[in-house]
Amino acid sequence: MILVTAARVIGTAARSLKRNIWLTLATVSVLILTLVSANMLLALNVLGKVALSAVRAKVDVSVYFTPETEENRVQTVKIFLLSLPEVKDVEYVSAARALERFSDLHKNDDDVLASLGELEGNPLGATLIVKARSLDAYPRIMSALEQPSYASVIEAKNFDDRRSVIERIETVSHRIENGGIAVSLLFLFIALLIVLNTIRMSIYSRRDEIAIMRLVGASDGFIRAPFYVEALLWSLLAVVVAGAIVMPAAHFAQPFLQSFFGTSGADLAGFYRVNFLRVFGLQLGATAGLGLLATKIATSRYLKV
Amino acid sequence: MIRLKNVSKTYPPDIVGLQNINLHIRPGEFVSIVGQSGTGKTTLAKMLIAEEHPSHGQIIIGGWDISEIKPSDIPLLRRQIGVVFQDFKLLPKKTVAENVSFALEVCGASPTQVRHIVPQALNIVGLLDKRDRYPRQLSGGEQQRVVIARALVHRPKIIVADEPTGNLDTLNTREIITLLEKINSFGTTIVLVTHNREVVNELRRRVITLDRGLIVSDQEEGKYLL
Repeated sequence: MILVTAARVIGTAARSLKRNIWLTLATVSVLILTLVSANMLLALNVLGKVALSAVRAKVDVSVYFTPETEENRVQTVKIFLLSLPEVKDVEYVSAARALERFSDLHKNDDDVLASLGELEGNPLGATLIVKARSLDAYPRIMSALEQPSYASVIEAKNFDDRRSVIERIETVSHRIENGGIAVSLLFLFIALLIVLNTIRMSIYSRRDEIAIMRLVGASDGFIRAPFYVEALLWSLLAVVVAGAIVMPAAHFAQPFLQSFFGTSGADLAGFYRVNFLRVFGLQLGATAGLGLLATKIATSRYLKV
Repeated sequence: MIRLKNVSKTYPPDIVGLQNINLHIRPGEFVSIVGQSGTGKTTLAKMLIAEEHPSHGQIIIGGWDISEIKPSDIPLLRRQIGVVFQDFKLLPKKTVAENVSFALEVCGASPTQVRHIVPQALNIVGLLDKRDRYPRQLSGGEQQRVVIARALVHRPKIIVADEPTGNLDTLNTREIITLLEKINSFGTTIVLVTHNREVVNELRRRVITLDRGLIVSDQEEGKYLL
């Protein structure tokens, strides 16, 4: 019996959608705009995090040893560094490898290559490239290398913490996020008004039917339920269409994003694939909640049962 | 069956609809409520289906005091009282059978019940052969018979008919009144609100006359007095 009643309620809602097709399209369009703007905000958030982690990954300390330093001394310093809890990884670059990298880096600079050729032997020493577990740990690592036993073998230490770049990315991300939230809230408010007025129009177009339902003893719930179902159908339609726009767009943007960020971590399409149910499930829940709230307001105000 | 005790209805600021009405309608009666326009006939009919609530007094239907009926109980009351109005209130895009079955469907009747009851109701009003027609394809009298069939599907003990012949010619009026008499003969109480003198005089049933919200006459085999 519940199934029969549910089928009748859904049938009434579907007929109402068809009857007010243009209003339905306008309402669903505004819901789609809201969802697409929310998805853009989400994408920017994801990409902002990718940018930050990419920059963070580039932060390291390079410890340059004097050319005379023997490899076992360098390995001792490496073992010491690895024993520090703040240190995540230490890469050893031998003097020969350091020269090779240097030559490779300046392969188009004839003057540098000529100067290098005039020198006897390898002018470069070995290098240790240290990565810390957090940005805050770098100053502590630097001070740990200040001890006198290492000072004689270490020629130089180079630390570029890229703090200013990280701060700038964070500031821009926050601004985009705040702007996105404001735009999404604006769309949300417009969507609420549109849904409310569409339900109002729906009540008006079904006024004769509602009057008869009241006369013949239809329950309050049965009269109101189709309007709630209508709002749920709009939400479902809007999320499906928004998904059909966002997913291909993320897929299309993928090569550009990867080339821009220079990392395969900027995988927006992958993010949507992995989090498909969570992202669109939440959006369906939020849109349905908005629709139900607007319907509650509209039916309380305009539907006299 | 229906009892009104000291019922008054006042509309803001101080318009009197009904004044101190005391009335008892027994089960199976056919009662005509007559009076000129604005005397409170429709107000009384609306009170019987809880469309209006009395400002003072009590309305008891089948032992149920509906004077301060809860909104959630109104549908239950209306399933026990069939309502017929002057404007037919039929859905133009539904057929005769669909209009009648609509009344059952919105109250949660099963498809089996609908298939069983609708032809019975249409048979009583003589429209079984026109079940697939649309309201626009029917005469005024036939449309009103569809409304009566719709009112019958819940097997009501009372039918409240407010000016059911107001839009009909003499021939169709006669048909509708005959139909109401037929339904009354099955034991259904009929409350007919009308200002049609001929109808009331031909019926020779109980007539309650209202004037300015007051009952000025209540005759067992009455005539239209005003």
